[in-house]
Amino acid sequence: MFGKLNLSAIPLGQPIPLITSLVVILIVLGVLTLITVKKWWPYLWREWITSVDHKRIGVMYSALGVLMLLRGFADAIMMRTQQAAAINAMGYLPPEHYDQIFTAHGTIMILFGAMPLVLGFMNFLVPLQLGVRDVAFPTFNSVGFWLSASGALLVNVSLFVGEFARTGWLPYPPLSETAYTPGVGVDYYLWAVQISGIGTLIAGINIVTTVLKLRCRGMSYMRMPVFCWTALCACLLIVAAFPVLTATLAMLTLDRYLGFHYFTNTAGGNPMMFVNLVWAWGHPEVYILVLPAFGIFSEIFPTFSGKPLFGYRSMVVATLFICIVSMTVWLHHFFTMGAGAAVNTFFGISSSIIAVGTGVKIYNWIFTMYGGRVRFEVPMLWSMGFIFTFIIGGLTGVLLAVPPADFLTHNSMFLVAHFHNVIIGAVVFAIFAGMDYWFPKAFGFRLHKGWGIAAFWFAFIGFWVTFAPLYVLGLLGMTRRLQHINFPEWRPWLYASVVGVAILILGVISQVVQFVVSIRDREKLRDVTGDPWDGRSLEWATPSPPPFFNFAVMPNVEGEEAYWGIKQRAVETQQLSPEPQYEPIEMPVNSGVGFYTAFFTSVFGFAMIWHIWWLAILAFAAAFAGFVFFAWRDVHEFEVPAEEVARVDRARRAAREALLERLSQQGAMS
Amino acid sequence: MSDLNERADHAPGDEPPGEESGHWVRNANLGLAFSIVLTVAAFLLAGSHVIYMPAIPVALLVLAIAQMGVHLVFFLHITTGPDNTNNVLALAFGILVVFLVVAGSIWIMDHLSQNMMPTNQMGQMP
Amino acid sequence: MTDSGLPASVAAIRRVQQDPNRLGQRRHGSTEPVEGVGLGTTGPATKRIIVGYGFWIFLLSDIVVFSCFFAAFAVQRGATAGGPTLEQIVDIRRVAFETAALLLSSYTCMLSFAATNARSRLWTQIFLLVTGVLGLVFVLLEVQEFAELAGRGITPQRSGMLTSFFGLVGLHGVHVTIGGMWLATMMAQVQVKGFRREIVHRLICFNLFWHALDIVWIGIFTIVYLMGSNSTGSGA
Repeated sequence: MFGKLNLSAIPLGQPIPLITSLVVILIVLGVLTLITVKKWWPYLWREWITSVDHKRIGVMYSALGVLMLLRGFADAIMMRTQQAAAINAMGYLPPEHYDQIFTAHGTIMILFGAMPLVLGFMNFLVPLQLGVRDVAFPTFNSVGFWLSASGALLVNVSLFVGEFARTGWLPYPPLSETAYTPGVGVDYYLWAVQISGIGTLIAGINIVTTVLKLRCRGMSYMRMPVFCWTALCACLLIVAAFPVLTATLAMLTLDRYLGFHYFTNTAGGNPMMFVNLVWAWGHPEVYILVLPAFGIFSEIFPTFSGKPLFGYRSMVVATLFICIVSMTVWLHHFFTMGAGAAVNTFFGISSSIIAVGTGVKIYNWIFTMYGGRVRFEVPMLWSMGFIFTFIIGGLTGVLLAVPPADFLTHNSMFLVAHFHNVIIGAVVFAIFAGMDYWFPKAFGFRLHKGWGIAAFWFAFIGFWVTFAPLYVLGLLGMTRRLQHINFPEWRPWLYASVVGVAILILGVISQVVQFVVSIRDREKLRDVTGDPWDGRSLEWATPSPPPFFNFAVMPNVEGEEAYWGIKQRAVETQQLSPEPQYEPIEMPVNSGVGFYTAFFTSVFGFAMIWHIWWLAILAFAAAFAGFVFFAWRDVHEFEVPAEEVARVDRARRAAREALLERLSQQGAMS
Repeated sequence: MSDLNERADHAPGDEPPGEESGHWVRNANLGLAFSIVLTVAAFLLAGSHVIYMPAIPVALLVLAIAQMGVHLVFFLHITTGPDNTNNVLALAFGILVVFLVVAGSIWIMDHLSQNMMPTNQMGQMP
Repeated sequence: MTDSGLPASVAAIRRVQQDPNRLGQRRHGSTEPVEGVGLGTTGPATKRIIVGYGFWIFLLSDIVVFSCFFAAFAVQRGATAGGPTLEQIVDIRRVAFETAALLLSSYTCMLSFAATNARSRLWTQIFLLVTGVLGLVFVLLEVQEFAELAGRGITPQRSGMLTSFFGLVGLHGVHVTIGGMWLATMMAQVQVKGFRREIVHRLICFNLFWHALDIVWIGIFTIVYLMGSNSTGSGA
């Protein structure tokens, strides 16, 4: 009746997941009760859950990502403290538990923390920067978000019902096959990642179509902000690579559920093929994460240097170069699997070559700062921390790209330090830089500067104190994922790393405090003009937060840095451009299809994990029926009357008049 | 929104603006005729001795690629005009990805199996 | 900014030097198209183009999924684990019928779209129905093939080669089945709602999908069946 599910699935014998689950359930219940008591459900349903507005969806993606980063960080704390405590000792985490923790840490951080944040930024910014009102497929956008949330939900449910995979964040066979993992852990992983993978693919298709087919008048390719170029290339990689993940995980699912022999080690299966295919996805995946991060920095450096970005065209070429070459390097993740010298050499060379694209970008950012008037606001601090951190991480990457060197460092702590170096240095720093930079745009008030500076310095110093010892440990011979340490000479490095974790905890606390304090002081930090940083691209032409239709009249773009040109002309002519002719605007209606589909997909996933076949069939049929039902609707759009548009825009123009006064009084623009 | 009479793009599988349905049906008929010829040729070729035996797989591949091209041009109306540039570029990108994944995987897996220890079991890779 | 007497190139350079951001006196919200580098400077495309292009991108992602299954098949085609080889399970006659059915269904699908453009509901439905019937024939033949093989004890659980054979061919069959369900839904929508804009957009997408399935089938019948029936064994 309930498949494999019975009461023993609840981890009564394991205190850590048990207590965590209880706390989480209490918090969730508390939040739900609060919402109910305050009668916020209609507002939440109307304005957020069924919203197809790219800005709302972007914020929800980011919120999901931040939440999951916290969970991933908790896993990291446990891992580092376990390793420090288990030097010729037991530690406090038994191996079967520790293995789930490092698997969950990787899976959550990459797939449910960083990916949603990157997707959230792209969703929020791309239509605003292109001067249009929404992405190409707004309703589909909502479906994609809710599917990602569904995957995240399944991963977290594994904490209190059942277990998670113990294979590492990429479930290599034969360990992940039924013969060696008969439990539900790998199944949780497979269904959660598959479901959220579909969501990611939907977002990728959406943004590619938006960038290529949906730009405002005059916005040619070479006038787009560089963030839109990196979003395009990242989403092209999503469209190219995520299907590989879908196919590979589907093959593993077929092996586990139907006894197929794709990756088994008997009857003609080939476990190495899994490694090959999954890294054919895995490498483009990290470029999917890092390209939008580069795009974020390409927006921040010009603004806070007061100069246009240096070398726009070389930036575009470098981005396209990285996009294409990133699909030709994946074997460097398994040099040691035995493909031989010829194959290893080819991929070693391509992995070294791809550094050239990134090098071009870094020089361009540095030259952007050179000769400019640099303002050390919080986003700029994160950006400069990124330059320093990422260069070193990239250099260790080029070291790893040399196959003979990789034979010594593969799967050692050197590798662990390298990939955290580049991911944290680029992606995490970019996320925090971008949050500080665009938070006023999204919510209408700035974040507190002092706590932002504290969060940056704790994070920057904490990162280096945590991970520099790991480089040393790797070169001393320590391999990754160890639950038990047999070499006391590693002790000082492991302890130093835990000190770094403590500093990082202070950084996370500072970041949370920054949010709390900013919300508390939001009136003092209010952004009244819509352009708090003296920005250069079109999103700063809108009020903060933008109206749901973004632009009252879509802009007519005549050069690079569209908004900068508008501002310059306004200051020179001492007036705003004349009031335009306001016309009614058609906007898409909200839809519950995303939430509805994702709800039944979660049930479907849960049922498949626990082999509750009748429930799986019912849930799938309900999801399909709901989809058809929503597709049957007659009304897709509603009209915003011209008077409403005029009213909103006149308020914006009044705020801009005030900004113009202030800028003129300040004299020349920076 | 942009006027279709301006130089607007054209979606694949769609008829371009201003084209009459006669053209469309003619494309369908031509596409079907070419496809039938190529399919029959492939089926007749396989297992026959018309050409040098080891060349048959290559010939079959050529016929398959030709027929895929027929489908793309006649059924999906992928042309080289400026209104189709995005479609062609996307297709080229897709073909590149398919080539990298398939050829790369075959190359890698072949070399991996070359370096596996020899075994007397029948169930191993060739 | 006129080029009275100056060569066009000199005038152009002067223009760029004097007005690098090309601000001129152009008002925002003006409706004349702006000259610029590259295509797509005339504002957002129409919904029809956006929908078609987005679906094209989705199809490319689906082709990548198929390419992974093709790669697995290429790698595992010799991994018979002492069981039957590819030549022993391939039935060329049945595959010929399947190919004919699917190719004809692609043709009738095109004709149905021609009928849609001519706004003839009757002929649209007729050709859609024929397309669906031919697709059903295809699926039934494939089910029959699988059932016969299973009856002989030839199942995907037997060996790596059989796994990737059934996986690849089965994946395509599942796509055709889903396409058939979509087709039925489209016929119902055309019947109830006529040729509204969204319905025509969805028919464009369905057309793309159905033709792409035939393109994938070309790959399958060539690489799996025709090359598989060749006893040389050395394929792509």
